[in-house]
Amino acid sequence: MLRLFGAGFVGAFLWSWFSLDMSIISFFAGLGDVRNLLGRMFPPDFSNWSTIVNATFETLWMAVIGTFVSALVCVPLAFGAASNTTPHAVVRYVCRGIISLTRAVPEIIFAALFVVVLSIGPLPGILAIAIHSIGMIGKLFADAIEQTQASPREAITSVGARRLQTTVSSIVPQAMPSMIATAMYRLEINIRASSVLGLVGAGGIGFVIQDSLRSLDYQAALAAVACIFVLITAIELISAQVRQSLLGENTNVLANRRQSGYAKRKVARDTARNERAIRDRSLTPPWTSERILRTSSAVVAGLMLIVAFLLVDMPLLGALPRYPDLILVLGDLFPPDFSTARDELVKGMTESVQIAFVATGLGLFLSVPLGILGARNIVVRRVIVLSTRVTLLLLRGIPELIVAVIFVSAMGLGPVPGTLALTLVTATFTSKLFADTLEEVDPSPREALVAVGASRVQEFVAAVVPQALPGIVSQTLYILDVNLRSSTVLGIVGGGGIGFLLLGSLRVLEYQTTGAVVLSIFLIVYFIELVGSIVRRLLR
Amino acid sequence: MTFDVPNGQVLALIGLSGSGKSTLLRILNGLHAPTGGNVRVLGVDVGSARGTELRELRRNIGFVFQQFGLVGRSTCLENVLNGALGRLRGPRMGVRSYPSELRRDALAHLDRVGLGTVAFQRADTLSGGQMQRVAIARSLMQHPSILLADEPVASLDPESSTQVLELIGKIAREDGRTVVCTLHQVELAMGWADRIVGLESGRVVLDAATSGLTIEKVMSVYRRASLQAEPLPLLSV
Repeated sequence: MLRLFGAGFVGAFLWSWFSLDMSIISFFAGLGDVRNLLGRMFPPDFSNWSTIVNATFETLWMAVIGTFVSALVCVPLAFGAASNTTPHAVVRYVCRGIISLTRAVPEIIFAALFVVVLSIGPLPGILAIAIHSIGMIGKLFADAIEQTQASPREAITSVGARRLQTTVSSIVPQAMPSMIATAMYRLEINIRASSVLGLVGAGGIGFVIQDSLRSLDYQAALAAVACIFVLITAIELISAQVRQSLLGENTNVLANRRQSGYAKRKVARDTARNERAIRDRSLTPPWTSERILRTSSAVVAGLMLIVAFLLVDMPLLGALPRYPDLILVLGDLFPPDFSTARDELVKGMTESVQIAFVATGLGLFLSVPLGILGARNIVVRRVIVLSTRVTLLLLRGIPELIVAVIFVSAMGLGPVPGTLALTLVTATFTSKLFADTLEEVDPSPREALVAVGASRVQEFVAAVVPQALPGIVSQTLYILDVNLRSSTVLGIVGGGGIGFLLLGSLRVLEYQTTGAVVLSIFLIVYFIELVGSIVRRLLR
Repeated sequence: MTFDVPNGQVLALIGLSGSGKSTLLRILNGLHAPTGGNVRVLGVDVGSARGTELRELRRNIGFVFQQFGLVGRSTCLENVLNGALGRLRGPRMGVRSYPSELRRDALAHLDRVGLGTVAFQRADTLSGGQMQRVAIARSLMQHPSILLADEPVASLDPESSTQVLELIGKIAREDGRTVVCTLHQVELAMGWADRIVGLESGRVVLDAATSGLTIEKVMSVYRRASLQAEPLPLLSV
């Protein structure tokens, strides 16, 4: 059965490759065009720095507010959706339904819709981010709640605590680290998202980049890309550090790594502080490194939120009378009209699916060697691992639609630049996932093979690959799912696929055609998710 | 089944898995509802108790679970403080959300179970025996009249098992608390409890003071059950 799915994937890749007129020559020619454009972009022109810096910060604050609002909405939704906390089965289905629906529509589509009602500016962007993020945050929050142990809850119920007390004292402490990590991860994603919402007039740096490219001011465009790149990379580094300390690392990763001198000193310092607190009969916990990190992270997050609300030009209350119109616009998508633009719809959807398959296949092809080079337990030379990881981190710093804008500017309109841009983004993202999966393999089967005299290649093939394969297949399906969503919006910047019709129907106010496009995207994504869940079940 | 437990008695419930020991304890605390009959604990009909009445009853009954029921990421002190939730209004998060006299009380209970030195350590960093002692401290935080213990040593090594049972026995005798504890280790039960009640398929098949009991008599509870069980088919090679 698994082989059938594998053959299906290869077949879909080949069909897509030839339908899109992709060839090795066009691939390298495209890269040559991009290199020429990049040459014209250097050196970056920061003369308009105040606009660029303001737009960069607006991008950050939009993501911060959007993620915060979404996380806030998701707390009650997740408690309603989790099987162990929901008050009733009906509530559970309603909450799960809201979570699934919000995930199906890309934020740039929400943004394009909201711009129509709220006019241009960061507010439609923030709302779009907040609504779309509910899908991922709500699902992962609910999963975190469901994964909590039942025994502490029962124990606290047994002392006579009320339901709310039991939830706060037993479920919240267990689920909180995972929930914060989810919100932080989503913030990373949302910064990338908010940096492209400007392409449809929803605030942030996307507009500055597109405007510069349209006026052929490539050096100014590069300055804006550089700013957003620094922001994304910095947030990703900080977020990864905080998430790791909140969730701890996989035990196999720890087994593969030596404890550094710094970590040993930290443990010694915490032990001393603990002992002093016990000796002094302190009634408050000592300031261990974990408590310091937790408190300072909370303070920084709180400050960022306050600054975001103060600085973003966001007439939350001023737009109050127009909020009902938002619902009306969403209502105008129904009933979806599949007939008016049927040919464009079929052609656009097919092209989006083809782009997703080619980008996933090509990305995979590039990711496997890069993933191996980035795994600390596979490649012994630290310098190779480090340079691979740093390169991947840097390449991930530019959002996919921005990459697509650059590729389209270099190569012209059409699906080929869109596909190449998505391939590049896929390769960098998937390589990191693969490297992480390889690092998480259990070291004991490898040791057993080394003990019987196996070579490094034999050990890798016999002990590492079988352990990592289920994870890699599962991630490939996830990447295909992500790429399908991405390929549906590439058309907004001229990168091929259904996005062009989507934006066009919005501009000419043909909302029912927009509804048909959104529904088609939802159905295709849902189908791929369904296939993914079957394959994952087969892998277990 | 019918039996009474007088104040201050240490009673061990024995019987094969599935004989109804854990169900009985959970019914006594109102965690499970009885399907029939009449269960009165501290003068309250547990079957009909709801809401505030049930919570008030639970406040007076300490419960020690086989799997400890500790919040792994919380400190030991906070886990012990959770035992006071039944007496407090509103939710609490973090040690500092509890009044200082309760924190002092919790620290004293941790000292009593010999774990004052790990008050600020995360519960999931402790050994099984230590975790169970923290769970006992949590139930002491309730100042309960009755202490129920469901297989409190089933997940522990022999040395920790003895320590935990000795601790429960010591608390019962020093504070005059009633203890009802399910156990599988007959010899441990004989040396520790005042009285043993044997269950089989939800019925009492043995009820006697440990002073007049022989180990053979107690073991007969297990033999009776295995004799009644379907014989296993012989393996043929």
